[in-house]
Amino acid sequence: MSDLPFLPAWPPAIGPLAWVAVLLLAAILAGEAVRRWLNTSRVLGYLAVGCLLGPQLVGVIDHATLAQLRIVADIAFGLLLFELGQRVDLTWLRRNPWLLVTSLLEALLSFFAVFLLMSLFGVRPIAAAAAGVIAMATSAAVVITGVKDLRAQGQVTERVLLFTALNTAYAVVGLTLMFGWLHFEEASPIATMLLHPLYLLTGSLLLAAVLAWALIRLLRAFGRRAPFQFAMTLAMVLLTVAIAGMFKLLVPLTLLALGVLARLLDRDRHFVSLRFPETAMLFVVLLFALTGANLEFAGWAAALPLAVGFSGARFVGKWLPVLLLARPSSITMRKASLINFGLMPMSALALAMLGELTRQAPAVAREIATGMHLAITILAFIGPLMLHYGLRAAGESSDNAPVEQ
Amino acid sequence: MSELDFKASAPLTIGIELELQILSRHDGDLTLGANDLLRAIEREAHPGDVKPEITESMLEISTGVHTRYATALEELLGMRDAVVAAADRLNLLIAGGGAHPFQRWSERQIFDKPRFRQVSTLYGYLAKQFTIFGQHVHIGCADGDTAMQLLHAMSRYIPHFIALAASSPYHQGVDTAFDSSRLNSVYAFPLSGRAPLADRWDRFVAYFEKMRAARVIESMKDFYWDIRPKPEFGTIEIRVFDTPLTVEKAAALAAYAQTLARLLLSERPVDVRDDLYLAYTYNRFQACRFGLDGVLIDPNSHEHRPIHADILSTCERLEPHAQALDSTAAIARIAQWAAARANDARWMRGQYAASESLSDLMWKQSQRWRGRG
Repeated sequence: MSDLPFLPAWPPAIGPLAWVAVLLLAAILAGEAVRRWLNTSRVLGYLAVGCLLGPQLVGVIDHATLAQLRIVADIAFGLLLFELGQRVDLTWLRRNPWLLVTSLLEALLSFFAVFLLMSLFGVRPIAAAAAGVIAMATSAAVVITGVKDLRAQGQVTERVLLFTALNTAYAVVGLTLMFGWLHFEEASPIATMLLHPLYLLTGSLLLAAVLAWALIRLLRAFGRRAPFQFAMTLAMVLLTVAIAGMFKLLVPLTLLALGVLARLLDRDRHFVSLRFPETAMLFVVLLFALTGANLEFAGWAAALPLAVGFSGARFVGKWLPVLLLARPSSITMRKASLINFGLMPMSALALAMLGELTRQAPAVAREIATGMHLAITILAFIGPLMLHYGLRAAGESSDNAPVEQ
Repeated sequence: MSELDFKASAPLTIGIELELQILSRHDGDLTLGANDLLRAIEREAHPGDVKPEITESMLEISTGVHTRYATALEELLGMRDAVVAAADRLNLLIAGGGAHPFQRWSERQIFDKPRFRQVSTLYGYLAKQFTIFGQHVHIGCADGDTAMQLLHAMSRYIPHFIALAASSPYHQGVDTAFDSSRLNSVYAFPLSGRAPLADRWDRFVAYFEKMRAARVIESMKDFYWDIRPKPEFGTIEIRVFDTPLTVEKAAALAAYAQTLARLLLSERPVDVRDDLYLAYTYNRFQACRFGLDGVLIDPNSHEHRPIHADILSTCERLEPHAQALDSTAAIARIAQWAAARANDARWMRGQYAASESLSDLMWKQSQRWRGRG
């Protein structure tokens, strides 16, 4: 063997890139299998493969690889948040103000329902509040991917998208305010406590406004060619992630606001032809596979009651306002319930918020981490199923015949 | 009572039906929303009648029976506002226009009603391509014989209606070169075109019975003629109009047909005989393809004239009848459009030339529908 120095050592070393390729390949195959044989969301396949190959189970994707791939996940998540923001038309809230009321109430009530439940389990108020804030947000990634996967359109679809964008923003802002409160508990100067959230909010929104304005100017100068628009948008999303990170701003909020503002500022409707190409799906597959790999469920047996309780409280907290305000907001009670199904998914953002909590307030995070991780795992898998069921039962997916009304 | 008993109605009354496009605010494509929109509209008091049509992307509004243009316009404006208000609450856009310029028909869902399902099964891709949007104008007739006389005499003026209302220049993402591409879709159906030359009601009934006995048809609904009698309403129904981009135009077109009916019935200028249809398909093609600039061959004199010129001279002859029916304002607008050779297809081409975006065109059409722009 040593006569042929160009040959690799045997067995050849399998580098992280190979495992990423395996992860991607397996995730795509599993996604297709889930779609074809179980006739449900591909997301489940991606998650399952990530979960299986990740550090919790087989472990060929280890923590170091996950850290390296973080950038890919960030890009994917950024694109999805931007796309969600761009799909949502905030002027709708002016034309149908009951939607704003519904949105505020579903977020508030799911916060309080989870807060109450956690308190019943003996969790400290500060930790219970953190769990409540995380419960507010619906997974933007799951919702936008599911809607595109089913080519869904209609009132349930539109409202799930709207409420998801809004509750994501509330949750991100809510968590920021919580950190202000934490600084207060740790006896930080009052100026820090007030100024930090203020800096995060105004900074994020201002940055989004500037970049959205620049994006629209560029589109205006270069016309409506779709591939070009996508490349430009991708670059702008990367820039947003980078600058927001540099200035320690709220990255998810900035991206969401970038999408929303790009739409609002787009008076000549340059963006109407924006279509994300199929190749962008690659990012999405990896995002979910990596999310799967990041799911944690050690000590699940002990945490199960808390996780199930959390899921139930969150379900009821979102369902009640959506259902009770169905009529004033011009939709049937049945469709309102289906909207609530669509609001169930939790995924990458919830994990990120839990991670942020662990960094900023480890003592608080420790109290709820096991239960929350299990709850996120449960809702990461059940959520996409519920979203699919909701959109299909409403007759809004394009892959099935309309159902009886 | 048989479906062929002609129910007498007040002569020269009009009723208007409009098929409207339901669009997504996101990209201007057709979207599903008829069910929710209907429910939202029915919750508020509104004039007229709103119904689902063959797909979930289409809504049909229809007025009551009117003797005068002004009241028909008023009712249409009221209905338009009600539909627009409901659409606003549901984040939808409503627009006129004879066809959606870029819809992917494979993605349309057929509205869930037995008859629509039956049509969809029978016609396959045609039924989905049938996501086209027309205006139907009913004109009341005292009896079946008058109806048949009026129907045939009116056929001479079909190119006028087509050219004035044409608003479907784009189809499946391309400029079709036609001002009204919608009618090409209609002509794919086996029982489209013109009614047989029956000049009395009993002759029409005899024809109908023969067709039914031969099992070519089951009911009047199987005919997709340009003009067809509607015995249960006591009307003839003119079906060649593309849905205009505004209700004002829809009302003016209905008034034009009404005033023309008065002229045709009182002066009897058109001979109802075989030669009447000599140039019919030629004229109809000219109107679809070239709009107001098309050429019309007069079936009696064999004279060739531009359609816009023929409309202008017709408007002059309509003057006394317009005064009798209080439709002078409407006829004046028709004459204006003819003189300027301006129809909606031309407006649409102008808008597209400026923005080069069909999505943007649909946005502008929706703004025009609600009375802006």
